[in-house]
Amino acid sequence: MFAYTIKRLLTLIPTLLAASVLVFLFVHLIPGDPASILLGDTATPEEVAALTKELGLDKPLIVQYFYWLIQVVQGDFGRSLFFGAPVLSVIANGAQTSILLALMTMVWIVIFGIPIGVLSASYQGRWVDQLTSGGAMLFASVPTFWLGLYLILIFAVWLGWLPSSGFPAIDGVGALGHLRYLLLPSLTLAAPNAALIIRLVRASMLDVSREDHVRTARAKGLHPSRVAIKHIFRNALIAVAAAFGFTFAALVSEAVVTETVFSLPGIGQLVVQSILRRDYPVIQGVILVIVVLYAVVNLLVDLAYARLDPRVSLQ
Amino acid sequence: MTAVVQQVQDIFAGRRLASIGLSWLILILIVAIAAPLIAPFDPYEIDPIARLSPPGWPHLFGTDHFGRDTFSRAIYGARMTVLIGSGSVIVALLTGGLIGMLSAYFTRAGNVLMRGVDVLMAFPALLLALVLITLLERSVVNTIIVIGIVYATTTARILYGMTLKLKREVFVDAAICSGAGHGSILFRHILPNLLSPLLVQASFIFAFAQLQAAALDFLGLGLPAEVPSWGNMLAEERIYITRAPWLLLFPGALIILSVFSMNLVGDAMRDSIDPRFKDDIAGV
Amino acid sequence: MTSHNWLRSLVAVGALVAFSGTAYAAGTLRYATVGEPPSLDQQVITSDLSTTIAHHIFEGLYTFNAKNEPVPLLASGETVSDDGKTIVIALREGVKFHNGEDMTAADVVASLKRWGEFGSRGNLLFDHVESVEATGDHEVTLKLTNPFGPWKNLMAFINGGPSIYPASVVEGATKEPIGQDGYIGTGPYKFSAWEPNRKIELVRFEDYTSPEGEADGYGGERTAEFDTLDFMPVPDVGARIAGVRAGDYDYAESIPGDLYEELKNDETVTTILNGGPIFGLVFMNSSEGPLKENFALRRAIQTALDKTTALQVAIGPEDLWRANGSFLPDGNVWYNDAGTENFSKGDAEAAKTMAQEAGYSGEPIKFMVSTNYPFHYDTAIVYTKQLANAGFNIDLQVYDWATLIEKRAQPDQWDLFFTHHGFVPDPILISVMNDTYPGWWATPEKTELKDKFTASSDPAEREKIWGEIQTLIYEQVPTMKTGDIYTYNIASSKLQGLGEATLIWPSFWNVSKE
Repeated sequence: MFAYTIKRLLTLIPTLLAASVLVFLFVHLIPGDPASILLGDTATPEEVAALTKELGLDKPLIVQYFYWLIQVVQGDFGRSLFFGAPVLSVIANGAQTSILLALMTMVWIVIFGIPIGVLSASYQGRWVDQLTSGGAMLFASVPTFWLGLYLILIFAVWLGWLPSSGFPAIDGVGALGHLRYLLLPSLTLAAPNAALIIRLVRASMLDVSREDHVRTARAKGLHPSRVAIKHIFRNALIAVAAAFGFTFAALVSEAVVTETVFSLPGIGQLVVQSILRRDYPVIQGVILVIVVLYAVVNLLVDLAYARLDPRVSLQ
Repeated sequence: MTAVVQQVQDIFAGRRLASIGLSWLILILIVAIAAPLIAPFDPYEIDPIARLSPPGWPHLFGTDHFGRDTFSRAIYGARMTVLIGSGSVIVALLTGGLIGMLSAYFTRAGNVLMRGVDVLMAFPALLLALVLITLLERSVVNTIIVIGIVYATTTARILYGMTLKLKREVFVDAAICSGAGHGSILFRHILPNLLSPLLVQASFIFAFAQLQAAALDFLGLGLPAEVPSWGNMLAEERIYITRAPWLLLFPGALIILSVFSMNLVGDAMRDSIDPRFKDDIAGV
Repeated sequence: MTSHNWLRSLVAVGALVAFSGTAYAAGTLRYATVGEPPSLDQQVITSDLSTTIAHHIFEGLYTFNAKNEPVPLLASGETVSDDGKTIVIALREGVKFHNGEDMTAADVVASLKRWGEFGSRGNLLFDHVESVEATGDHEVTLKLTNPFGPWKNLMAFINGGPSIYPASVVEGATKEPIGQDGYIGTGPYKFSAWEPNRKIELVRFEDYTSPEGEADGYGGERTAEFDTLDFMPVPDVGARIAGVRAGDYDYAESIPGDLYEELKNDETVTTILNGGPIFGLVFMNSSEGPLKENFALRRAIQTALDKTTALQVAIGPEDLWRANGSFLPDGNVWYNDAGTENFSKGDAEAAKTMAQEAGYSGEPIKFMVSTNYPFHYDTAIVYTKQLANAGFNIDLQVYDWATLIEKRAQPDQWDLFFTHHGFVPDPILISVMNDTYPGWWATPEKTELKDKFTASSDPAEREKIWGEIQTLIYEQVPTMKTGDIYTYNIASSKLQGLGEATLIWPSFWNVSKE
């Protein structure tokens, strides 16, 4: 398993290289330059040119790329043009919010998605199943920002129960209390994702229930609810666990719309704002970090499969 | 023709919700085609005096902050829905579908191609789309391309798997033995077997493309802001949620209904396809 | 399986979160900004957002009172020689920097020099400066090459202006904004932390020495009532409004005009108008394309526009805008109606005829606008429609702001572009007066009048010449003013001491929360 992990990590290198070239190219081809954004409306062309030079942005692209690549290989993602701070610290700041938001969303998905999915599968074809499956599909069809806007209106503005936006840092006093800022955003994000998990749980339960060992258990006269929990649910869990891995990675990186609606200082917002500011090093850094995250999650899921399901072997 | 009608009847028989969904989609299509005939106003006409009027007569859905007729804009928005949906489907199926099929068929070159697809799949799709749109500038075509590419990767994976399965089938061997060329095997023997799963995949892409397009519009990185699309209508009028709630209610409901309908139809079709491929398409 | 425990602990966290009450540090002001400022270095940065934050940290030698007249801040007074060429400025004694050092003439000279060489608006003054020297521990002498009227206004305008740093920070600084380690000023608040995309935190400066006298505009006594000021980026305007209503922020800036009435009637919030109006400007390309030197065609475009309609659509309530053609607002010393009869004709037929006479035959006219500012975009949509009605072939190009800035620097990329201008205390600071500002208006007529304008230091004469320049602007149309816009902010009604309007930027000394 160790050798396999190493091998997988090595195959990551060409992917990362290709990704870095693509991102660097895309980002630098966007019209607009950071110097004139920094200096504002009244700057003269000479002033902009001078600052561009100071920031090292006047060199040929290929030279800039290799400078950057050499730095990155040494673990230095450079400095944000806009904040002047190291890119990794800027990303870490956003990652804190994104990871907490993703975790909280996963909690909702587990709480709602799994029981409803199990329920739906147990009553396959009956009205409970139709209602939950239909409901899940309806939730998957709602634009997240639309849901978010109405949740803010109802729970923050009208009822005043929950904060509307923003997310103060989790350090200092009352830290955990700040998590309530993430309640509405995580519910917004959970709605479509829980719907997908419900469908997945239902489908995998139905698949597993057709397999031989379940039939054997039933034939042995085990109580149907024991069969459902011990044999069907546990095995269906494997597919669901894999889905959780990918959902988590997606939640960290793709929550940009929800982060915008709730003005959360997460990774997605960071990218959107950095694009507007043409903060090249930050955009490049974020995307590379997320590519690595995806790869790691992929690997973990595969390893988990091998552990949970004896039929899978790694070569 | 009658065979197609028969098939549609088989799929939707006894599925009331899916049938309603299909009817709704057909209605959207008709509205999209006949938009100029149906819309009571020019969707771009500005009327400062009638700004933010509530629903009523003559403005059925009220007016927006330019004083433009929301009902007429919603009617023209149906055009964008159809255009973005079908455009993304075509881009995704043509590029992703071809790559997947060819890679499975010509295994050696295919390995390399699929590695490329893997690289693309390792990217955070939405973030990449944001960078690309900023680079390409906002336009209908660019929105379609960006969304199409996002779903091309999953489509390539799916078709790759399905083609591999078919390649092992007897009828392919038979075709090879009878001296058929690559093109003939691919497009006359393999492709016809993939058509119905492709159709199902297309319906899911169509549905999710709507949500992606609305999200891009919301972030100000989708269709050009002046184009009347349901997503743009939501994005432009979102600050009026307390003052003129109907401005968000109508376009929002239209998006939800359309995506829901497309999902229902896709689901119904999936249940009727070849069981070998059922697992390959789990939604997008 | 351990996942049960994991799950249980997460649920417990969720419950804790849901039931723990509001717990803010007492004495913190939470301000929702439209975004992140580029830097707080006022000398080289002209972003209004930057100034809103930074003028709590940094101070200049002068500032403005409620009537927009310059009054001493770090200075205590000055004497000007009879020929107007030697200015001796006395500094207040005992003023401390945030690093504990005393402010002396050496710090002021170093700061002024860096501003003169690299500052955004520094060259406007330093083109007329022969030397600046410390002539005592707390005395600075400024020698001018010729009498220069606007010197004090330029010193008092902190946005892109001469904020005073310790010499140790500012010596060797260039065009590149000074970094966070160098955020050391003399103001009532000092810089504490900048958490990217989360907040910029300022804390009270305990050793602050305030100027004396009753508070008047930005002048007079300054008391830091809050322990902390947090400036938090909340780019989504809906989130800013909902946030103030829900009590998550105490103050939020840049609120759309259409919500003015509704928010005014909301008891939980107060609305605060911004004193100096901003105004939209549509620049014309004087360097290339169909509009180059074709003043008749430019006047045809100007005639086609009905600016009142655009203001109604883009801004909304009439309290928030004036269809005013004078470049400085009514009530200001620089107010002047010369040339403004052509401000908003809205006459499509006349425009059509004028365009034909000017030789226009339907060539596309490229009009660039950005979506970053909703009123730019809304106004441009209305103008495009009006110009189309007058027979102009307008090619509206919508970009994000960064792209627009890059494109407008290239003369072959555009014919018209939309921007806006902040309030300035002296017309010399208006962008169209700058020959190198995109649009590149530098006709001989302009140059002649501008030279006369800066050479004079007689207020009455300068006002008269400004009237002539404004007339010329309506004749040659290098830019079209779209009207005055009074932006407004909202605050929790618990804040006290805000007043009904800000002078230019919101300020939070002498402000408290009940």
